[in-house]
Amino acid sequence: MTLLAKEEKAIFSSPIAYAIVAVYLLLMGYTFTLMLFLNRTAELVRVFFQAAVLFLLIVPVITMRLLAEERRSGTLEILLTSPVREIEIVLAKFAACLTLVAAMLVLTAADAVVLGLYADPDWGPIYSGFVGLLLLGGALAAIGLAVSGVTSNQIVAAVIAMGAGILLWMIDSIGYLLPEPFDTIVTSLSLVAHFTPFATGALFLSDLGFFLTVILVGLLLSMRTLARR
Amino acid sequence: MSAVIVAEQLTKWYGPRLAVDHVSFTVGAGEIMGLLGPNGSGKTTILRIFTGYLRPSSGAARIADLDVVDDALAARRRVGYVPEDAPLYPGMGVAEFLRFMGRLKGLAGAGLTAAVDAGLERLRLGSMRATQIGRLSRGYRQRVAIAQALLGDPPLLILDEPTNGLDPRQIIEMRELIRALGGERTIVVTSHILGEIERVADRVAILLAGRMLGTHAVGATHGGRRLRVRLRGEEAPVRACLAEVPGVAAVHLEGRPAASAPVYLLDVADASVAEAVAKAVIAAGFGLSSLELAPVDLEALFLELTREPAEPGR
Repeated sequence: MTLLAKEEKAIFSSPIAYAIVAVYLLLMGYTFTLMLFLNRTAELVRVFFQAAVLFLLIVPVITMRLLAEERRSGTLEILLTSPVREIEIVLAKFAACLTLVAAMLVLTAADAVVLGLYADPDWGPIYSGFVGLLLLGGALAAIGLAVSGVTSNQIVAAVIAMGAGILLWMIDSIGYLLPEPFDTIVTSLSLVAHFTPFATGALFLSDLGFFLTVILVGLLLSMRTLARR
Repeated sequence: MSAVIVAEQLTKWYGPRLAVDHVSFTVGAGEIMGLLGPNGSGKTTILRIFTGYLRPSSGAARIADLDVVDDALAARRRVGYVPEDAPLYPGMGVAEFLRFMGRLKGLAGAGLTAAVDAGLERLRLGSMRATQIGRLSRGYRQRVAIAQALLGDPPLLILDEPTNGLDPRQIIEMRELIRALGGERTIVVTSHILGEIERVADRVAILLAGRMLGTHAVGATHGGRRLRVRLRGEEAPVRACLAEVPGVAAVHLEGRPAASAPVYLLDVADASVAEAVAKAVIAAGFGLSSLELAPVDLEALFLELTREPAEPGR
């Protein structure tokens, strides 16, 4: 809890968080308005995909400093020589990052409220879309945290995490070029393949399992980066 | 005296580089142990193994009978650690940082408040309570780091180069502080500055290239002594004359041999040899200008132990 409070404060007292939220809301508002006036349909599928793509770029910026900065400034030594476990450090940082992602989603929910006030949307896909975005944000945060753990340079951490996220997002495309069984393997690694059902209102346990697995692997790798050599 | 710290054949490889080479030592309760060595000699690596930041490649490190690898959390609870250059969170206030560290060490409620207040007072940080750490000077940051290490009253303090980057007045204060803390607990302190460690530690271990060359009790008398003799005369006959005196084990020339009245260092068994040396020198007709007893001090020991072996052919 102590570590979590410290991480929350570190994230929400940094101007990075507010810049990110502001840019995110601006772009999302633009997308929502455009979609509303061009399509005139009461749904958020396009908004969800727009948010997902923004997450690919934004979440690595939130996670980049989490471990890299502690390593660079030497404070990681203070943390690791305190009587706390690596898992507590990693979970606190992950949870703090997820809080910011959740806050952005809560603000995006304004779009859903607008739809609810002026139309009669199908609520199922809207709920599942937000769940999908939270899972996607969590997966990207876990990946970003692990990458942040292997470098002491924030920019390097952000760029590599972005690259990894974007590659995982669209990795299914290469499936068309690959023979069996590799095409299925590659397709089932794809973030977009597992996110699409959520955004369109089809909840599958396997998609949920996929995102939880990515989060788990990311957190385990983050802990590995803290392992004492 | 029970040992608070035990290192047994401690060895650490960084890839192919051997950083610590089978180092063994113990530090007793209440003792201030200094680790002295040039930069890169393995001091910080040894400290980091004891604080749990690094794992030893082989050998064992124990704090109060707790293995630092097998009982890592319990061992870490018994250590207050100030890393080199005192890394702290620049965005936190002084008291806020101390409360944070106190909670990590398991303090809570009134106990936490009392410990933080005691730390602020002991390190005279009361007026800086709300100041952001990033705005503090080097000396104050070092004090905050020490206040943090004292939280929870650990029986062992580990200080890595605590006087690094301080001004002369701060160095003197830091020395006094370390001596004062030493009465209550065991302290391991490192430095690459000889005079520094000599003033602080009860006992000094000298490290070079990862190996421990020996330990030396500061201020204690030793079996071996040295005579410093300044006299005029041809080098060869002087050497022959001095070597013949009973009780003189070896004769060295100090400084430049070309000096008009060079200083010879004699390894002698005990102080009474001085008289015999004076008689022999005067009888031989060499111009004696000074003769004094020089105990083997830390500096001499350090230079002797860290002397590179002479290369053949030179």
